[in-house]
Amino acid sequence: MSDFSPLGVLEEQVLVAVIRTQHDAYGMHVRREIERVTGRELAIGAVYATLDRLEAKGLLSSRRTMSDMSRRCFQLTAAGSRALSETYEMRQRLWQGVDPRRLVLSR
Amino acid sequence: MPRPLPLSILRLTLPRAERDEIVADVSAEHDAIRVREGPAAARRWLWGQALRSLPGLVTLTWRRASTGFEPRANAFSPGGNLMQHWIADARYAARRLRTRPAYTLLAVFTLALGIGGTAAVFGIARPIILDPLPYANADEVASFWASGSWNEQEYSQLRGNFPGFQRVAMYREGDMTLRDGDAPARLIAGIQVSHELFGVLGVRPMLGRDFQQGDDVPGADPTVVLSHGLWQELGGTHDLIGKRYDLDGVSRTVIGVMPRGFWYPNPSVRLWSARPINPAGRNGSYTLVGLVAAGEDPANMTPHVQRLTKMLADRFTYSERGDKTQDAWVKPLREELLGSMKPAVLATFAAMALILLIACVNVAALMLGQVEGRASELAVRSALGATHGRITQQLVVEALLLGVVAGGVGGLLAMLGFPALAQALPIGAWREAAIFDWTLFGTALGVAVLAVLAVVLVPASSLWRGGLRGAISGARTGGIQGRGGRLERGLVVAEVALAMLVASGAALLLRSVSNLYAIDPGIETKGIAVVDIVSNRNLDGDVRIQTIDRIIGALEQLPGVQHVGAAMKIPLRGGGDSWNVYAEGTSGAPEDRSFTYFRVVSPDYFQALGIQARSGRLFDASDRAILGNDTTVEMSVVVNEAFAKKLFPNQDAVGRAFSGGFALRQRIIGVVPNVAEASLTDTPAPASYYLHRQGWWGSAGSAVIRTTRPEDAEAVLDQARRAVQRVAPEFAVGGVTTMDRIFDTAVGPARQLMALLGLLAGLALLLGAIGIYGVIAHFAARRQRDWAIRVALGLPGSRVITHIVRHGLMLAGAGVVLGAVGAALLTRLLSSFLYGVSSVDPVAFAGATAALLLIGAAAAFLPAWRAGTVDPAIVLREQ
Repeated sequence: MSDFSPLGVLEEQVLVAVIRTQHDAYGMHVRREIERVTGRELAIGAVYATLDRLEAKGLLSSRRTMSDMSRRCFQLTAAGSRALSETYEMRQRLWQGVDPRRLVLSR
Repeated sequence: MPRPLPLSILRLTLPRAERDEIVADVSAEHDAIRVREGPAAARRWLWGQALRSLPGLVTLTWRRASTGFEPRANAFSPGGNLMQHWIADARYAARRLRTRPAYTLLAVFTLALGIGGTAAVFGIARPIILDPLPYANADEVASFWASGSWNEQEYSQLRGNFPGFQRVAMYREGDMTLRDGDAPARLIAGIQVSHELFGVLGVRPMLGRDFQQGDDVPGADPTVVLSHGLWQELGGTHDLIGKRYDLDGVSRTVIGVMPRGFWYPNPSVRLWSARPINPAGRNGSYTLVGLVAAGEDPANMTPHVQRLTKMLADRFTYSERGDKTQDAWVKPLREELLGSMKPAVLATFAAMALILLIACVNVAALMLGQVEGRASELAVRSALGATHGRITQQLVVEALLLGVVAGGVGGLLAMLGFPALAQALPIGAWREAAIFDWTLFGTALGVAVLAVLAVVLVPASSLWRGGLRGAISGARTGGIQGRGGRLERGLVVAEVALAMLVASGAALLLRSVSNLYAIDPGIETKGIAVVDIVSNRNLDGDVRIQTIDRIIGALEQLPGVQHVGAAMKIPLRGGGDSWNVYAEGTSGAPEDRSFTYFRVVSPDYFQALGIQARSGRLFDASDRAILGNDTTVEMSVVVNEAFAKKLFPNQDAVGRAFSGGFALRQRIIGVVPNVAEASLTDTPAPASYYLHRQGWWGSAGSAVIRTTRPEDAEAVLDQARRAVQRVAPEFAVGGVTTMDRIFDTAVGPARQLMALLGLLAGLALLLGAIGIYGVIAHFAARRQRDWAIRVALGLPGSRVITHIVRHGLMLAGAGVVLGAVGAALLTRLLSSFLYGVSSVDPVAFAGATAALLLIGAAAAFLPAWRAGTVDPAIVLREQ
């Protein structure tokens, strides 16, 4: 067993959104990306607090870009990548033997 | 364009280094939505963002402050965390407070006492002063003058025609004995009412129906409405409506249950019964309340009252005593129900607020001492760049910490002391309405925070005024004369002045109460037990007398009992029945008539209360019962000296006859001394005593039991109660008490208030002493070096002690003078409780002055002694 603690749903979404937005991963952009993909409205405060918490945990780091000093932009750290991939694997293991298509049918 | 409110909320909660970025982004998206979906949708979106962001952003700020985390991106941005300073300050303050336990405990305890006391008194005062009455029409209901003396005839003739009123209801006392199965009867406090009462008040029963026309006419089925509490005691089920109960020996139907929290006319009443009203009845003792006509103000009904008195004068003729056309008024219901309790509650509240104020002043002085002690530390910090605001913030945090702890302790004190306080205040049945709840705890905390914020102004202002940097040089030289301390002295003078207010109030009440206790009521009060017995109103008269004799017989059998008597009304419990009589041989014209209290007693009543005949004899076996309609016999009557003097001035009254009241001729067989029949402070009033088997016994009465040893009176009460229940299960025991306690009650609210204000005055003196001690100790410490030099040069130590004590006395003296001026104005609040003493009584003021000066001198002596006896060599070496 690894020593990582599983990520929360919002934490996972935020980490993935940071990857998806690449070099432009600042608060509002991350929020918009999650909203766009999940279709669920999110408050900037919730996203920002999660980003901050993930940075405090060492899973993200933030810096200000040379082009735009006013923006705090995030990127995954090595620990963040590891945590995300372990979360993904755990999910895979959890779903093994379960066919999602049958869930749709049996609804 | 001003920034929209949601954006301001976001700005406030965001970390400083990042707020511009995020607010700009949110604002841009808001603008985009407005263009796309219109301003309403944009506004909704913005509010949603701001409000739903709050929890996350608050935890973010808290987490950063408590862990010290700061993102790398902010490494070069100034600002940082707002809350971090506060938390660091709180930690520092907590450390400082822990290392000064004496100061902390004193400050917390002092504040907690003031806060807890104020919160508790506020809890008791709230239902009396602030809470709305539980009636929808409370503001449109007025009560009438001549409360308790209207009769059915007057009411019936005016009913429906009261000028200026929509409806008027009538009620009278109507306690009833309830027999539920085989259990002994018990007494339920209640009133008998006309059917309009609940309609006038604007309250509908929670269950069942209100009284209606036809319920209060002779011959109607007897109906009652229960209070919520009584309904629950009887089972609390819905099928109680329509059930019949044996109340006062009559089967009565329960037609309704009032909602929880409803009371009228006071919270002890639990039963309202419809009173059959006889339009020709001259039976008095009713009280009227009315709902004013639309647009009328119950506080301003004078023209209508004038029309009403004219109507009364046209229809009825009144004797001089009890003339309803004189001194007529109506006043708002609230004033009538609660007005009499207001002064006591307000006086206590004022005293409590003063204690809180004293406590605040005390803590302010303590804090000031602390700040001055830290002057060099603060000066160094200020030299290193700390702003005044920053230093003040630290003081505020320390004060808030003290305040929150004190508020918690105070709330706890309030909760624990609440029942005792409710008992101690003269508020009668409202005790039941006074309930401690958590809003009081909240109030305590709120008051605490306000108090410490006020307190912190004092040291903060001293910081702002005094140049901090100067303190460094002062610290280095040891500061001969030190800093001024004028503010500190001023605070102690104020504190003593406030203590003087409370102490002089307590002294006035003490004088008044001792005056009341010095009155001779004319009866023995020691060693007399009292059992109130109530028969149902419908018991046959002769059976009632026989039962009373049986009760007396049973009580006489109890061990240690000497005499047992019974009376319909015993002394010191209010006026009761009275009527007019005139001496035989006079015409009976109004000027020949005299009012007399009318008392029906058992033969041994006088012996039981230690009343001896002045002339003639008391009742004995020769005074036989009067049978049937025999009109030839005479009634034997014992009268008091006031009666004899009024009807037969300068003559021997024994053997003389008089008429009035009873149809029979009444002959005086003996004269007894005057007894305080109605209340303690009344001037002697005529009273006549009739033998129970010759007269008539109403439903209520009291047995008085004289025990051989005075200390047994309390012990016999329980046996007496059981004896009555055994031999007369159809009688209810209304209550048991002792004559001593009745006397205490008769002394009245002043006694209870004195106990309470005495306690508060003790507290004020204690706090005052602590204040004086603190300031003098500080004063002495500042001048230590100065005195050490003088003592080394030959000044005797005793001169130092005298000097310091004199300084303390001067502070106390100044406070006393100021306080006396304030007290002269404020003690008027107490005037309704004072008996035989003016509200500016010099003896009381002198007593309070002496107490405060004595305490001032004692509090100053301790530091003075230390300063005067210390070896100067040690002091000079230390500095």
